Amino acid sequence: MESLFLDFGAAQMRKRGYELSNTLSPNLDTVRLRAVWNSCDADDVKSVVRRYIQNSTSGPEKLVQEEVQGWTEVFAAYWKAVGELLAIQDPPSTNGLSTRSSWTRVYDTWKEMLSALIRGYNTYGFEAWTIPCLYVAGKYLRVFAIKADAERNSGNSHENGGAANFQDDFNPESEQNEKLEDCARQLNRVFNLCLSDRAPLDESRKWGIYHVINLLFKTYFKLNSASLSKNILKALSAGRGDMPDLSVFPASQQVTFKYYEGVLYFLEENYVEAEKHLTEAWGLCHKDAMRNKELILTYLIPCHLLTTHTLPTQRLLERYPRLQKFFLPLAKCIKRGELHAFDLALQEGEDEFVKRRIYLTLERGRDIALRNLLRKVFIAGGFEEPKEPGGPRVRRTRIPIAEFAAAISLGSQETLDNDEVECLLANMIYKVSQVLHTIASPTRRHSWRVPLRNLELPNLMKGYIARERGILVLSKNGAFPGTGV
Amino acid sequence: MASAQNTSKSDAKSAAAETKPDDVTVAKSAAALEEDDEFEDFPVDDWAPEETEAANGTEATQHLWEESWDDDDTTDDFSTQLKEELKKVDASKKR
Repeated sequence: MESLFLDFGAAQMRKRGYELSNTLSPNLDTVRLRAVWNSCDADDVKSVVRRYIQNSTSGPEKLVQEEVQGWTEVFAAYWKAVGELLAIQDPPSTNGLSTRSSWTRVYDTWKEMLSALIRGYNTYGFEAWTIPCLYVAGKYLRVFAIKADAERNSGNSHENGGAANFQDDFNPESEQNEKLEDCARQLNRVFNLCLSDRAPLDESRKWGIYHVINLLFKTYFKLNSASLSKNILKALSAGRGDMPDLSVFPASQQVTFKYYEGVLYFLEENYVEAEKHLTEAWGLCHKDAMRNKELILTYLIPCHLLTTHTLPTQRLLERYPRLQKFFLPLAKCIKRGELHAFDLALQEGEDEFVKRRIYLTLERGRDIALRNLLRKVFIAGGFEEPKEPGGPRVRRTRIPIAEFAAAISLGSQETLDNDEVECLLANMIYKVSQVLHTIASPTRRHSWRVPLRNLELPNLMKGYIARERGILVLSKNGAFPGTGV
Repeated sequence: MASAQNTSKSDAKSAAAETKPDDVTVAKSAAALEEDDEFEDFPVDDWAPEETEAANGTEATQHLWEESWDDDDTTDDFSTQLKEELKKVDASKKR
């Protein structure tokens, strides 16, 4: 305890927020947890802590009385949480009573500490440079909430004893995430604490806003309610006038924020915006943060496929074994136009794709695979006899629908009837890839009325179907825009 | 102190330096969280532009994407099969 307050005093004197926040870390080995826990008991914790805090600072930087009061409450709560944590980390083997600890109790005591911190800002005049303490409190509140929920759901809690086993069957989802949902509410308090600070920017808690938002994003995603993040973004943009620009925040906060913003757009199927934010996150990301880079690419690759019809290179994928497993089989099929193999690869990865929320987007990659297959048929058709000897060679542009039908059925056992094939072809011509059309709409007013060619987005196929003759007539120049033929 | 921002930046470096020796003990701590598919906390708070992916991936970045169609590769099994199939269709037409 003594060394803890030496650090606390040093950080206070030098106004070092992150050093101060380290004194509130619960992520300690057992020896250090025990040292804190053993230095006082429930009866005298407040007086012991108060004495330490009073003596920790001196001179002009000495804490005023109300700050001492605020920090005393924070560290008394911290001490209590440490006790619960210690009981889990190093349960006394002989004493049956003391093992009655649970992550729920850790969560509850840690929440008390967060509340004491919030009181510190609202009532006891904590300065804005100390906000990293809120980061540590918020970060571990989320960790403990997840652990508490997992423990309760598995029925291992000492709190509930055997009763938990009976509850499992009719545990609605809301109860499964009870603590994490509570955690989201607590983090919202911190968000508002930062957002509503009216102090001049130099000493404003607004500097904590993106860190807290990122914690909230993570929490909402975990709760499967990513859409709630939109409320945060709305509140943020309403107060953006007097908010420092994101670009002056630390890189870690920028990358995390842009990543989640990008994924949110991705989930709304706004792939153009998603790609923009994810590309920014990618560029800014620390070069050694492989796991995070992998996560960014997990969404950037499907985005890129739909917006530009391009695939990740082998070279890019080989640095990320997991992504290679996800995308390489699909990419190969798309490239070759192997429709049936594409369906199989999509099926193969379905569970993972659904879990990562990229299934529907990847499914749309089938259009690109189909485009490539039709293009192959077109190229295999070769050239017409030149009208005059030595004249320019012209590709065969009138192609029997039966050829496309054969190509589409290739590899699979089922054959499509002509109507179905015509329908697929018509879609390729009509859609301009529907995806691209719909994403263009929100950003360009009236774009839905604009003739599609004015959108300057790549078409998939140009031509028309001559039904009565059973042929597809492709455009003589650029039948498959953007692909060289 | 110019701003909280400056504080956090300078602090980040010292904080990173402080936590390094703890790596061994962190493994023992129950408060650590291993989440499979969650964006991870970066070990440092801030970094210089030279340390970003954009600055270091230049060579790789140029080769991130390739066209989704491939003209070079017409000898694979699938392409051969396709050609066979198209010949069959053609033959049945002429009959």
